[in-house]
Amino acid sequence: MATDVRTSPVRPARARRRSSQRTTLWAMLLALPTAWMAVFFVASMVIVVLLAFGTTQRDGSPVFGTNLGNFTALWDEVYLRLFLRSVVYALATVVLSAMVAYPVAYAIALHGGRYKNALIAAIVVPFFASYLIRMYAWKALLSDDGLVNSGIRRAGLGDGLTFLNTPWAVIGGLVYGFVVFMILPVYASLERMDVSLIEAGKDLYHSPWRTFFSVTLPATRAGLYGGMVLVFLPALGDFVSAQLLGGSRTFMIGNLIQQQFIGGQNWPLGSAMTVAMMVALGILMFGYLRATATPARET
Amino acid sequence: MSRTAPTTSRRAFLRGGLAVGAVSALSSCAYIPDDAPAVAPLPRSAKAKVDGDLGYFNWADYLDPSVLKGFQKEYGVKIIESNFDSMEGMYAKIAAGNQYDIVFPIAKWVVKMRREGRLRAIDHEQLDNADQVFYSGSYFNDPWYDPGSRVSVPFTVYKTGIGWRTDKIGSMTGSWRDLWNIEGAGRIFTLDDQDEALAMAALLLGYDVNTAKPSHLDEMRKLLVSQKKYLRAYSSDDINNMTSGDAWIHHMWSGDFLYMREGLAKNKATFDFEAPEEGAPINSDTYAIPANARHPGTAMLFIDYLLRPENAVKNINYLYYPFPVRDAVGAFQDLAKEVPACDVDVADLENPDVFRLLDPAAVQRRTATWTEVKAS
Repeated sequence: MATDVRTSPVRPARARRRSSQRTTLWAMLLALPTAWMAVFFVASMVIVVLLAFGTTQRDGSPVFGTNLGNFTALWDEVYLRLFLRSVVYALATVVLSAMVAYPVAYAIALHGGRYKNALIAAIVVPFFASYLIRMYAWKALLSDDGLVNSGIRRAGLGDGLTFLNTPWAVIGGLVYGFVVFMILPVYASLERMDVSLIEAGKDLYHSPWRTFFSVTLPATRAGLYGGMVLVFLPALGDFVSAQLLGGSRTFMIGNLIQQQFIGGQNWPLGSAMTVAMMVALGILMFGYLRATATPARET
Repeated sequence: MSRTAPTTSRRAFLRGGLAVGAVSALSSCAYIPDDAPAVAPLPRSAKAKVDGDLGYFNWADYLDPSVLKGFQKEYGVKIIESNFDSMEGMYAKIAAGNQYDIVFPIAKWVVKMRREGRLRAIDHEQLDNADQVFYSGSYFNDPWYDPGSRVSVPFTVYKTGIGWRTDKIGSMTGSWRDLWNIEGAGRIFTLDDQDEALAMAALLLGYDVNTAKPSHLDEMRKLLVSQKKYLRAYSSDDINNMTSGDAWIHHMWSGDFLYMREGLAKNKATFDFEAPEEGAPINSDTYAIPANARHPGTAMLFIDYLLRPENAVKNINYLYYPFPVRDAVGAFQDLAKEVPACDVDVADLENPDVFRLLDPAAVQRRTATWTEVKAS
């Protein structure tokens, strides 16, 4: 809209009218999503927050209240350990995702040529299949008598690996589940980057590694950081990977919350866990935004 | 059987608590304290006659599809199927006012729903095949969860025990201690189910499967934690874990075991099942008609249809779970003849190891114990 005004200086009045019409149009278009978010997102969050102060009544249904006990109950070694474990898994997921996503995005953005869009589609399409189904596919692939291990045995490379039900399986599942959220923003920032920068970098530094770390990586920092957040958040709260691929010592915070709601008949405690986690993540996000605000403006 | 076997088990998979749906039920409960009468009056039974299409609410894939098709054809009605993936999810939907004509609660949920007046009476006089389950002397004339069988009809009964690989494990003792068997270390699974896991520990210690006494729970927690070094995972996907070779010893449901052995396994002889001597939890699924059903008459006909022995036989051969339908019992015994431990007899039904409805404080204490076990 701003550019519209600027590019038609001759007839500002008409431009302004068009601009205000557009504002109305935008307002109308925004009304539906705003109402949707208010009703289904904000309202449900409000219920979760209120319920965190609630109790469970005798018939098992949760009721609102003003009870702080759910929060004091969280200050428990067991829960803190689970939270730390989840953070470690989520961080490992972020690191591994970056190691997978960056080369993939780089190869497609800079060497994909006219197949770029097809390659990106090839990466995105499998993610249309439910996360749950893909986890099950992993189980079939990686179980002790699964395809991978049968292959290893047939090729005479040993007895096969025990992969399922280990922390690595959980982290692997998380990476597989969320890596696309890293690939896309990194791809977008590589796409936008001026390739001549790399050429200039090569002239300046000679070594392709130094070029990468001094030119390419800084130029795509915003996309990489964005991808890290997009992977970290769902990985931290996930319960599917730990449930399907995990072992007896890979219980995560998401499993804990789910357990309060399903078998535990303790929605208020589950809600308090959710709120506490949102607060913790909110603080982390705030720190992240503060830390990245300046470099992002530079680029 | 010509079924293109979905290698995921129907109930174990769902019941394991991938209950994404149940979480969405969060918005559907009353949050305002509600002092409903302790025992609500029983809504009257409907007459068995077609009064509309059948709203059917069950675990996914928990009935032979050909039986559903047969009912639609014979009575000229449609079956509109919905599924739940946990009892909590089922209950939340019904409590929120969703209307279904027939629902499949597990025993202790019958207690809860009957108490709250959420289930309609079922008049046995209306059912031509009532004597298939309510014959004289039948346990189900007066089951523990539904005195007088006023609101429910028994569907399946099953027990929880231990399945194992006979080609890998030579030393089984017939005790729950077998879940600590060193021979299977790293290949042992315990069901990812609060009630089942706690019951297993309680039985080993000689306690009631429903115990919520803090001192008992503390001992049970220690016992279960001591199992961890032998354990590969907590999982309710018992069928897949066995067929994929991940599990050599699995805490599992008898019906799942039988389906896995008879329906899926390449080499049946390498699988066996035991119901441990300390006691095996017995559970029953039932069908019932919600009080707010729109077409209870069709639901009555449907119940009657499921009680026909030929339909019960079809369901047995599809599900591998025993049905207490008199003239179909033989079909199950045929299926289970090589693993009689999977069968559930009257003595099993009368045993005290059933999961009862507990008050929320007790459930929460049990959950806290289970959480500590899983998190340690």
